[in-house]
Amino acid sequence: MSSSFDRYQKRRLISSYFSVVISIALVLFLLGIVGFLLLNAKKVTDFMKENVNVTVYLKDTAKDVEIKQLEKSLALADYVKTTDFVSKDDAAEAMKSEFGDDFMDLVGYNPLQNSIDVKLKADFLTNEKLEELTALAQEKSFVDEVKYDESLVELINSNVKKISFWVLLLSAIFTLIAVLLINSSIRLSVYSKRFTIKTMQMVGATKSFIRRPFVWKSIKLGILGAVVALIGLGFVVYYVDKMFPELALRQSLVLIGGLFLAVFLLGIIITWISTHFATQRFLNLKTDQLY
Amino acid sequence: MSQTVLELKDASIFQGESLVLSNVNLQVNKGDFVYLIGKTGSGKSSFMKTLYGDLKLTQGEGHIVDFNLRTLKEKEIPFLRRKLGIVFQDFKLLTDRTINDNLTFVLKATGWKDKDKMKERIETVLDKVGMKTKGFKFPHELSGGEQQRIAIARALLNEPELILADEPTGNLDPQTSIEVMEVLQDINKNGNTILMATHDYALLLKYPSKTLKCDDNKVFEVVQRKS
Repeated sequence: MSSSFDRYQKRRLISSYFSVVISIALVLFLLGIVGFLLLNAKKVTDFMKENVNVTVYLKDTAKDVEIKQLEKSLALADYVKTTDFVSKDDAAEAMKSEFGDDFMDLVGYNPLQNSIDVKLKADFLTNEKLEELTALAQEKSFVDEVKYDESLVELINSNVKKISFWVLLLSAIFTLIAVLLINSSIRLSVYSKRFTIKTMQMVGATKSFIRRPFVWKSIKLGILGAVVALIGLGFVVYYVDKMFPELALRQSLVLIGGLFLAVFLLGIIITWISTHFATQRFLNLKTDQLY
Repeated sequence: MSQTVLELKDASIFQGESLVLSNVNLQVNKGDFVYLIGKTGSGKSSFMKTLYGDLKLTQGEGHIVDFNLRTLKEKEIPFLRRKLGIVFQDFKLLTDRTINDNLTFVLKATGWKDKDKMKERIETVLDKVGMKTKGFKFPHELSGGEQQRIAIARALLNEPELILADEPTGNLDPQTSIEVMEVLQDINKNGNTILMATHDYALLLKYPSKTLKCDDNKVFEVVQRKS
């Protein structure tokens, strides 16, 4: 008879832990997704930014040595990602294949100029930097002009700012929801033990001694929830990698590992802090205030 | 030579904002057995709570074991309670663990480390209350009288200088009350000091001792007629 009572008690306990673990897991999973989004948003915008072309057009009078020297000095600058010399013949070829017919037949000569295509590193793609680059290049007498799409640069930059603001806001809201949800689940499970806590105080146990097993138990639940969340997150990453191989997720395994670790630690920290405060609340109450 | 373990001078006991007892003067010496009687609501429980730090003493003076109740800090309360043994009307055992684990918890919480010594101590106190064979049971598997004996054993664990019993027989039938009372009497004979709040007058007649009465916001000593 007593064993069935024990089983009943145990089952009740397990189901209440179950809901705590599930809520921790769900919240951490969502947080992980937002974090994953945040990581890859940077990658996507970086990819876009590093594809913006700055073209330095050269006069036909420019000597090969001068061109080589300019290309080298540009390539060595810390804000430049790649430089690529495009001769007027290459440019004509490219244009031909793009438009389908040979415009040179029409014009009779090649009107294009030799040029150097410069691509900047994502972090340096600002209008100030581009103006600096322009000024630098135009100091040389053999440079005709420097062209880039000013409005495109502005568009990218302002959108990135907007998007990262919203994603950050979203993750802040998610974190807050996470803390509140986990907090209330833990509060409930501590609340059900409030008389036990009081009794422990009556026999001379210090607050930290009483709190320790509660915190430890919650951390274990937090770890369990985090593991469940990470398994879910693992599946998501796996499928995103399969569907969008251009994100090159395999090359940022360290970052993804860092994200997983952060989610795991967050699970521990949030449950720890919540339990600390939830038990503290009941530890500080007098017996009469419990009812 | 008698040693004072509890002394109150002009103390007032408050329950929240309302005054329950005023001008309490009281002295309990080592080895005494003192009854505290009174109707429900007369302030017995508030009085006891003040003694073990669950209510603050804000007026008058109070000394219990080595602690000053007026200047008692939140942090000192656990250490005060280690020097007291408290027995409650509703036993207050930890329902989620066995008797042995209940007692082990108290020992661990009060700084015991050596497992063998803890085991020995638990056997000693269970023996004192005649419950040596019940250590493996859960509280809900024991009768009320047995649970109260366990609670008394728990109170004895740290060899308290004063045992506070707040209506220890309040939930028990007369026969069981007497059994529990016998245990308390035995402990008292072994030199433990006991302050017991009760409204069970039959016990008073059977085991006469120094008696204090709470009535009309006052505590005064009543002299029992010898029967």
